[in-house]
Amino acid sequence: MTKEELITKLSAIVKPYIQNEEAFKSLNENTDFINDLEINSANLVDIILDIEDEFDIEIDNDSMEQMLSVKATVEIIQKKMNI
Amino acid sequence: MVGNDLVDLQFAKSESNWQRKGFLEKQFTIKEQQLILHATNSFNVVWRLWSMKEAAYKIVTQQHEKRFFAPHKFECSFISEAEGIVFFEKNKFFTTTFFNSFYCHTIAQKTNDKLAVFSSVGMPETIDCEIKKRLQELTGVLVEEISQRKSSVGAPLYYQKEKIVTNSCSISHHGNYGAFAFTLQK
Repeated sequence: MTKEELITKLSAIVKPYIQNEEAFKSLNENTDFINDLEINSANLVDIILDIEDEFDIEIDNDSMEQMLSVKATVEIIQKKMNI
Repeated sequence: MVGNDLVDLQFAKSESNWQRKGFLEKQFTIKEQQLILHATNSFNVVWRLWSMKEAAYKIVTQQHEKRFFAPHKFECSFISEAEGIVFFEKNKFFTTTFFNSFYCHTIAQKTNDKLAVFSSVGMPETIDCEIKKRLQELTGVLVEEISQRKSSVGAPLYYQKEKIVTNSCSISHHGNYGAFAFTLQK
């Protein structure tokens, strides 16, 4: 899976939780879930659970700690999937 | 130092499913999960714990200017119906949580000195304006002269021109509500 394909899948996962449509339209590697997409922190856990289901991986607490941006999240998914 | 967090309970009901598989495990320690599962109103305990963690996190990020998502590192204990303590690494934060049928609001502090904190719950759109009004009442500085700036991690600070007015300030939004808590510069 390429990084672009990963970002496409990730943007479909975060879509139900976003509160800033404009920032979502221009979603890219540097997009921040809370500052840009205005996702509620309580929904970050939903995103992490959705990622685990979608990519069939397990995200440990240390990895979860950094998952506040598209870039960090993509890196963690790649690491967990060995790609 | 002060932090606050508000949970719109109706919004939490519709936007988050705490009974979803894995949700409690990711968000709460084993001890907290026990508190939730043995409670008569588990929903309220979930959101009380969550707002305690978030309020404490908002103090940590004002101090260290580093953001992270580690709900497990903040462990909560209840002292009474409203009061609690959140442990984070070597720190201890004192919390007070107010509940009604609409929202749950927690204020966290580094010291157990409630008098020094000014806070209120209102609408998300008017929070900035309400803080400025309260600052005018407390300090005599006119609303027009007060402006908000953000620290490098996005924590709000209020200034009168180049002079900082708030010592610590925290703003929280969720659903239909907004809330603030601040302390003044001595």
